[in-house]
Amino acid sequence: MQTQTAQEKELAELIVESLNLEDTSPEEIEPEEALFGEGLGLDSIDALELALAITQKYAIQLKADDKNMQQAFGTLRSLNAYIQENSA
Amino acid sequence: MNLQSSFPVLDRKAHEIIAFHHGVEVKAQEFLSRALALSKRLPPNKFVFNLCTDRFQYLLAFCATTIAGQCTLMPPNRLPATLQQLGSEYPDYYLLSNEDVSEWDKSAGQTLTDSPFEIPAIPADQLCAVAFTSGSTGLPTPNLKYWKTLRTGSLGNAQLLLPPTNQRLNVIATVPPQHMWGLEMSILLPLFSNVAISDRTPFYPQDIADALLALPEPRAMVSSPVHLNVLLKSKVQVAELEYIFSATAPMSQQSAEQLERQFGTRVIEVFGSSESGIVARRETSAEVLWRLSDLFTLEICDSGVSIQAQHLPAEVFIRDAIEMVGDKQFRWLGRHQDMLNIAGNRGSLADLNKRLLSVKGVVDGVMFLPHGESERVAAMVVAPGLQAKEILTGLKSEVESIFLPRPLLMVDDLPRQATGKLANRDILEKFSKLIAKPHKVKST
Repeated sequence: MQTQTAQEKELAELIVESLNLEDTSPEEIEPEEALFGEGLGLDSIDALELALAITQKYAIQLKADDKNMQQAFGTLRSLNAYIQENSA
Repeated sequence: MNLQSSFPVLDRKAHEIIAFHHGVEVKAQEFLSRALALSKRLPPNKFVFNLCTDRFQYLLAFCATTIAGQCTLMPPNRLPATLQQLGSEYPDYYLLSNEDVSEWDKSAGQTLTDSPFEIPAIPADQLCAVAFTSGSTGLPTPNLKYWKTLRTGSLGNAQLLLPPTNQRLNVIATVPPQHMWGLEMSILLPLFSNVAISDRTPFYPQDIADALLALPEPRAMVSSPVHLNVLLKSKVQVAELEYIFSATAPMSQQSAEQLERQFGTRVIEVFGSSESGIVARRETSAEVLWRLSDLFTLEICDSGVSIQAQHLPAEVFIRDAIEMVGDKQFRWLGRHQDMLNIAGNRGSLADLNKRLLSVKGVVDGVMFLPHGESERVAAMVVAPGLQAKEILTGLKSEVESIFLPRPLLMVDDLPRQATGKLANRDILEKFSKLIAKPHKVKST
């Protein structure tokens, strides 16, 4: 099992909290596991809620047609990297 | 009474803008000649799954397939299993994608803008679409849409919802065109009313803001509470907006007021069903009662409401509870317990339960709504030797992700009564006991 970095752990906590994932704990989200569809199995409503939580915490606005963003949403690791790159 | 045997495929003036595609205005005359050209290139099958995700291409394809005498199938979701199941019911079908439409549209060559603007007539009784809804039988229920129904319904919608001016309304929709709400507002309105539709389907708040800014004034948005609530909370600024039309789930007066304040707009909530189409409206910040469209009469029955209209092929029965206030207004009291609506997607608990019980290894189980309408479906399952993840995998191929239970709890038994019946309060009681337990701490 891969280890989460401190930033990834914080993001995992945000995911679990903002999406009310009652049967997943933050530590259980593997950094390189798919977040959407497979893996954690998040869907489009989750994407909206999560984007909102990310905006509120990291002050970034997400856009669906930003190709970097589409890839970023792939895994915990890539999402964290995107956030770090794009926050002030 | 309208005894016309046919209606035009669109009812716009040649120079009027019908849509925006890739930022470019498309006028009715050009649109029609492209639709005619496309109609000649389509495969000869009777039924078509219009899978276009580009809204302009959906519109173009819808017009072309109608001209060609074909019928657009509108599945409740895009799971391969669903398309396969429906395909076997309507075997003379083909699939139409963005790429197909784009390729055939391009190769149609230069459109002649000075060619006569002759609008084809479509027989009133041509079956133009079938809207499928999840029912309690396990098979999607077909709702037949004849041209007369779609066209008359659309004129009624314009009268009910659009401002009584001659000014063109420029519209963006966050909802897909493949369900009736999106079809009526973003595909049919541009065909019959002075509405120009954007090709975009914006998702995140920033996308919505960008898409609105790209439209000329006056602007309107067609959306649903899920999206609107996220938009509100994001505090993104949007361009001036005359109206927000919302449907598919109830909106609180508070949300409507907030939206109106934050965006300087008017929020019009719309009431309807896939079976009947749009039926009523209200300005939620100011009104509690719904105002019925002139096309419909309602009759309260045993466990719901009967909706009647001349342009509907048959009476429609919906499982809502209402209270008439005079002939033209009603108060909505709630929805029958089986029907779900999550983010504009309609589902049936009975249908979901059937599918759960058909997963291999599942001995017993129940899907239910733990907190009321807007939350996720949850499940408790008896399946010795199986884990929650395996059951979810078993469900995934047949159930849309938004209806997948969250959480899915494994249990030893369900609180069935001696008769085998499972009472809602017993389900909720067991569930709340289970989730009250502290989370297991996983050892790493």
